Order: sequence, then C-alpha cells, then structure tokens
Amino acid sequence: MSRNVTRRVAVTALASGAVFLIRKAHGQVVWQVNASRCVNSRLGEVGVEACNLCTSSCVVALSAVRAVNEYSKCGRCNICPAYFNIASAVDEKGLPSEKLCPRDAIARKPIGKQDPEDPANNFYEYVIDEEKCDGCGRCVMKCKEPLGLGSITLQVRYNRCLNCNRCAISTDCPKDALEQVPLPEALKPGEARPTV
Amino acid sequence: MSEVRYRQAGSIAGKGGAPHQFSHSITGLALDRNGLVYASGDSEIKVFDAAGKLEKRWTTMRPVLAVAVSRQGLVYAGEEGQIELFDPATRNARVWRDEKMLGRVTAIGFAGDSVLAGDAAARAIRRLDHTGRCLGTIGTDNNVGGLLIPNGVVSFAVDQEGVIHAANPGKHRVERYSLEGRLLGHFGRFNFHDPAGFTGCCNPTNVAVSDRIYVTEKAGPRLKVYSRGGEFEGVIAADCFDPNCRNISVQAGPLGRVWAADAVKLQIFVFEREAA
Ligand code: SF4
Ligand code: SF4
Ligand code: SF4
Repeated sequence: MSRNVTRRVAVTALASGAVFLIRKAHGQVVWQVNASRCVNSRLGEVGVEACNLCTSSCVVALSAVRAVNEYSKCGRCNICPAYFNIASAVDEKGLPSEKLCPRDAIARKPIGKQDPEDPANNFYEYVIDEEKCDGCGRCVMKCKEPLGLGSITLQVRYNRCLNCNRCAISTDCPKDALEQVPLPEALKPGEARPTV
Repeated sequence: MSEVRYRQAGSIAGKGGAPHQFSHSITGLALDRNGLVYASGDSEIKVFDAAGKLEKRWTTMRPVLAVAVSRQGLVYAGEEGQIELFDPATRNARVWRDEKMLGRVTAIGFAGDSVLAGDAAARAIRRLDHTGRCLGTIGTDNNVGGLLIPNGVVSFAVDQEGVIHAANPGKHRVERYSLEGRLLGHFGRFNFHDPAGFTGCCNPTNVAVSDRIYVTEKAGPRLKVYSRGGEFEGVIAADCFDPNCRNISVQAGPLGRVWAADAVKLQIFVFEREAA
C-alpha cells in the first residue's frame, strides 16, 4: 500500500471513530442483541445448550440483558416449554411439575374466559419479571422454533445498560451478536426484532 | 399390546429444481382411488405413481397449502382465501374464493356430500356444500374459540363413518367431531417421556386415518401410530426427519402404507406395515 493510501485509511478510521464517539456522547448509538445471530434465538440450532455469556460477561449486576416476551408472537400455550421444564415429571393436573427458569422470573397467567375444569382449554400469558431475570437465555432457547414460536428473545435494556465503549458481552460473544445501532433504530420495549 | 412394525419402503421427491422435486415447500398429501399420490407444495400439484415416478404436475394460482382428491377424482387445492378445483379428465379448473371463510386452507376432506376445509386463519374447519357455500364451522365451540394451533396449520382426516379427526396440538389431543360440529371425544395427553403422549408445547401437528390413526409431531419430529380407539401402537419413524421440521403432512392408504412429507427436506417418506 502507498503511504498516501495508508494515511487516507488512518484518517478515515480516526474520523469514523471520532464520529462514533460524538454520536455516543450524545446517546445516539446503543448496543443491541441481534436475535438472528444469538445462539439462543437463531433458527436452525436445535439440541444445543443455552448460552449464558450475556449473564456472565456484562459489567452490570445480573446483566443489562434481559429476556423479553413479544406477546403478539406468543402462542399463549397451555404448556409453554420456556415456562415449564417439559422433561420433568407430569403432575396430577397433567402439567410438568417443574419450572424452567432458575430465578423464577416468569409468571403464567390464564387470560380471557377461563375453564377451571380443563387447563388445556385456556390461553395463558407468560410475563417476565425483569427485576428477577438475569438474561441466562434458557427460556429463549426453549421458546425458539420449532419447539416454540420464538416470541422470547434477549435484549439489552437501556434503563440498565451503561452503554460501554466496548460492550463486554460483544468481546466474548461467539456469534458476534452484539451490535451497535443508532438510537432511533434500536428496539422499542417489548419489540424482539426491528420493525422494518 | 401387540407390536406393530413398519419399515421405510422408499422416498419420493426431495429438494431441488427437477420436475419431481420441490423448491421451497411441501404442504399436503392425498391419495386417489387408483393409488396415485398427490403432493402439494410451492405453487404446484405433483402426482406420483405407487413407485414414486412423477406422472403429471400443474401449477396453482397461489402458493398451495393442501391437496385432496374426491371420490369422483376432482382435485382440490387449498390456498390463502380460496380453494381451486381441477378436473383432470376435462382439464377444467374453477375457484371457490372467499377470503373470509377460507382464510388459509391447510387441509381438505370429504364427508357425505360436504367438503371440509381446515381454515388456519380461523383455527377451525369449514363445512361447505358442493358449490363452496359455507354450511357451518367445526371446532370453535370451546373456551378458546377454535383449535389451538401455534404451529399454524389445521390438520384433520375423515374416517369411513364420516367422523372428523382433528389435531388439536395446543391441547395435546386428537379430537373427534361430528359433521355438525359436536365434540364426540378425544385421545392424547402431554408427556415428554412416554411416547404414547404428545410432547412440547403443541403436538400432534398432523393426522391421518385409515384402519389406524397416524400422527406426526414436531421438536423432535416423529411419525406415530394409534389404534382407532386411540391406544398407542408405536413410533414408526423419527430419525429420517430433519430436526427443524414441523407440520409433517401425513396420509394413510390401504394395507398399512403411510406417506409422511418432511417440510424441510421436501421429501416424502413411504412406510409399510410388516406382516405380523
Ligand atoms: S453471548 Fe451472544 S450468543 Fe450468547 S446469549 Fe448473549 S447474544 Fe446470545
Ligand atoms: S433468561 Fe433466564 S432468568 Fe431470564 S426469564 Fe429466561 S430463564 Fe429466567
Ligand atoms: S454495554 Fe456494558 S452495560 Fe451494556 S450490555 Fe454491554 S457490558 Fe452490559
């Protein structure tokens, strides 16, 4: 490479770095989990353990990444594999006897008209308590297709995230799933994917 | 329980651009009285002989979601908002279009003079007359206003007595309905470990009936057989299906022959019951 070209590359890199820092200083760039890259939500990867690096790598206590359920995509199933440990023994009501979440962060609530005789004859809403969730990804892995409908994903929560210059999770993530996006493009609360 | 054994007797189609293959989807299976196998997928109906050789194929107006063949040999293709009817003898085609009552037709069957259409948009089965006029809706008279199908497909089969067997995956059941929509009974329950049960959030996804009841499941995908009374008889196949496959269309013929269409490999597996 000629010295001129080298200089031009270096100047461009510095300029884009400076632009980034200015935008970041103005809170215009934020970190976001790309659900189609994250091991826990990307389609096609079945039969693998959930990845919990979002929990262990983040500098914030419990992690700034939490599980979010996008209700419009949820099947509202009687037996949700993200709520129940479906491999646990079946209880007298015909439901799995154990929950999946190690932090008991998911609540199961019957919604609409209720049939007290038959739990299968109801719709259920699965509500994630973000105060308890640490983003371990287990429920996300079980919710994804084909077992579930993929309505639960991991998301950076901007009320918790410190917007580090180099997100510690992005350094460790094996799938390069943490990406920076301009704030207007960032996911809104409850949104699992960009709405483009 | 006497053991019933099946063996894989062959496979049909597959993924690709050749005339006998499908490119993107395989959505339904049907049999005619001469033993020809009809498969719907992409925007085509393909007809195979018993040995799996492609006999003919034709295109549909919209991506096709289901196929059925009446006793008279009319071929019905389920699509979004409509059913197309083809008469292979005259090569005539016509359409029953009703975007409201035929929202997303993923299964078609026949009972008496009625044509039945599984409408996944309404989570229900429509009963139609021979002109396509809706006479009633089956499967909605319950607390959740329809079949629970997070898998996005209504699947049902009609036995020789005219009883409708519908998969209700969200309830982990196969339900039996009369033509008038009365729930006659059901079998099945959730169980992860016992293969007699249905696992996951929602199974079975698809159902077929002949002298026995055949069902397919997703995550992990498998094909199972039950007696007509609903007693579990065995797992016919599991390993041949792609683990990401869901909504494996199934069709049952005479003499214990079963066809199951892998929606990822776009391949139809053929199974045969072995002599006891
Ligand atoms: S570290 Fe990456 S792959 Fe792992 S859960 Fe977080 S985003 Fe997903
Ligand atoms: S991510 Fe982990 S802690 Fe959070 S709700 Fe899911 S299983 Fe529970
Ligand atoms: S930017 Fe910092 S606080 Fe935010 S998710 Fe990454 S490591 Fe956690």
